[in-house]
Amino acid sequence: MDVFSYSDIFATKGIEYLIIITFLALLVPFWLLLNRQVRISSQVNKALGYLSANILRIPHGLFYSKNHTWMYMEKSGAAKVGLDDLLLHITGEVKFSNLISPGEFIRKGDLMTQIVQKGKVIRIFSPLSGKILAINHTLNERPGTPNDDPYGKGWIYKIKPLNWVEEVKKCYFAEEATNWSAKEIERFKDFMALSMKNCSFEPSVVVMQDGGELCDHSLSEMPGEIWKDFDTDFLNSN
Amino acid sequence: MNNNLQIALDNDGKSIWKFLISELKPKGKFLTPFNVISIPIIIIGLGLIILRFWKGIGEVSNVTQDIPWGLWKGFNVVTGVAFAGGAYVLTFMVYILNMRKYRSIIRVTVLNGFLAYAFYAGALVLDLGRPWHIFNPIIGNSFGASSVLFLVAWHFLLYMIAQLIEFSPAIAEWLGIRRAHRILSGMTMAAVIFGITLSMLHQSGLGALFLMAKEKIHPLWYSEFIPVLFLVSSIFAGLSMVIFEGSISHKVFFDQISEKNKNAQNGIIRGLSKICAGTMFAYFFLQLLVFVHKQRWDMLDTALGHWFLLEMLGFVLLPMILFFVSYRKNNIAMIKTAAILTILGVILNRLNVSIISFRWDMAVRYVPSWMEVVVALAVIFSQIWIFRWVINRMPVLRDSPSWANEHN
Repeated sequence: MDVFSYSDIFATKGIEYLIIITFLALLVPFWLLLNRQVRISSQVNKALGYLSANILRIPHGLFYSKNHTWMYMEKSGAAKVGLDDLLLHITGEVKFSNLISPGEFIRKGDLMTQIVQKGKVIRIFSPLSGKILAINHTLNERPGTPNDDPYGKGWIYKIKPLNWVEEVKKCYFAEEATNWSAKEIERFKDFMALSMKNCSFEPSVVVMQDGGELCDHSLSEMPGEIWKDFDTDFLNSN
Repeated sequence: MNNNLQIALDNDGKSIWKFLISELKPKGKFLTPFNVISIPIIIIGLGLIILRFWKGIGEVSNVTQDIPWGLWKGFNVVTGVAFAGGAYVLTFMVYILNMRKYRSIIRVTVLNGFLAYAFYAGALVLDLGRPWHIFNPIIGNSFGASSVLFLVAWHFLLYMIAQLIEFSPAIAEWLGIRRAHRILSGMTMAAVIFGITLSMLHQSGLGALFLMAKEKIHPLWYSEFIPVLFLVSSIFAGLSMVIFEGSISHKVFFDQISEKNKNAQNGIIRGLSKICAGTMFAYFFLQLLVFVHKQRWDMLDTALGHWFLLEMLGFVLLPMILFFVSYRKNNIAMIKTAAILTILGVILNRLNVSIISFRWDMAVRYVPSWMEVVVALAVIFSQIWIFRWVINRMPVLRDSPSWANEHN
């Protein structure tokens, strides 16, 4: 026979409400704390002037090519292209030369611009084939724009792509792009170590002795030979 | 036109039957450590299953009239289905929330889910006193519509069909049937939505099965909120199993995984750990709320009370903290440890509800026989064998053929 039992469900109502309020109150800091790791270390690295994966801006909605250019398809069907944050952190503020006029056609792998800093040059090849629709004229009027906003106001060209689907297949996207950028920083460290050795420069100028962190804008202090090596051996080796 | 000829022509002109026969041949080494352990267990398990059906359930199992639910239901069905919850959570994340980052693991998770439900439905048949009644909810020989089991039976059947449809594009790619692939790919979204809806109800439904056993389950585990607790815990149970199984598959089937997916692995594990941390945080507070609501604090200082605290603190709170810390520190090894602890915690919780605290007050407690344990393991090992067979042949971990990407 079932035993009848009575429990007053209202006896603990007050504590239950407190538990729910505590849960909601703790939920916000819990979630903020969970996501805070990337922000804190990125701010520390920024403050110290170190270049690390944490400070890079890598929006996940863009496609990234191996030569550190990005592409983004707008609703109008035009694709914006530009330089990614890592490349701009490495070079520092640059000017753009040899820009192609609107109306011209460009193929993937063609020279689309050169970035210049105090006479030192790096070639940037196009990640896309298509017709140039527009150039961003503010690039040379306000040279720091790509560094401040590489994926927004820092675009270089608007291109009407001819073969978008095929050409983005080999690009990095979303989390893959984040992982690739972290690896590229390591590859850049190795490149700098080798280049410094070849040029017999003091490594402490570029790489901090403690922990081997890279300074921001590492390439800006380097001579033209290192820029050439960067162009041929690092950026455009593929 | 003859369908076989049509299919053969689709399959680049090769005869599909010859292809299927050739695929039955084993691939890779035979005497691996896993095979050496699992083959004897499967063989013995098969023998015990024959004995079970020949001589009756009492011959192999320790279930009685007072405790009719044994290890096969408690472990294989109730616990196993919780771990198969990774399929509905992941399909929700990928197809509904469009979290493309997890796309590379969707097929293997759905495959796992499908095999889990198929094998655990089989395990259920083993544990039924009258196994021929398994078809009653479907065929109508006394539907039993007033029982939660009616819902569970129909959901299992429909969910297996939904998962099969979700996975079928991989089968079509394996067989090279392009026309079927196009049709099946088009059905994926509908199957996904259907599957998610079904899953959420039967995950909680498995908990609802225990609602009528109020006087039989220890008060620390019984409450009218068991369905909600089962549903919420199935989220992190499934994702923890995805992390665990994914780590093993990543090592065992390393040669099949593309470079892109290998690089994405750690990011995926990290993302899943964040979801687990959040869900377990909510679950812990739910358990606390239920505990306070039931006013059972006087039971904490008993043997089962300590067992309850071990489950909550050691296997819910601790892995939740581990997930939290490991996500922030990006420590993959700690995430995997937390996943293992979570899996153990879910096994503990499900066994506590269905077996350990069930009729806790009886003089003679139910302890599964060695034969039940062997059969339970045989079911799991058989599932892994099929899983391995499929992975080695179908495009689950490896990329789909280029022609299939147009339909996907």
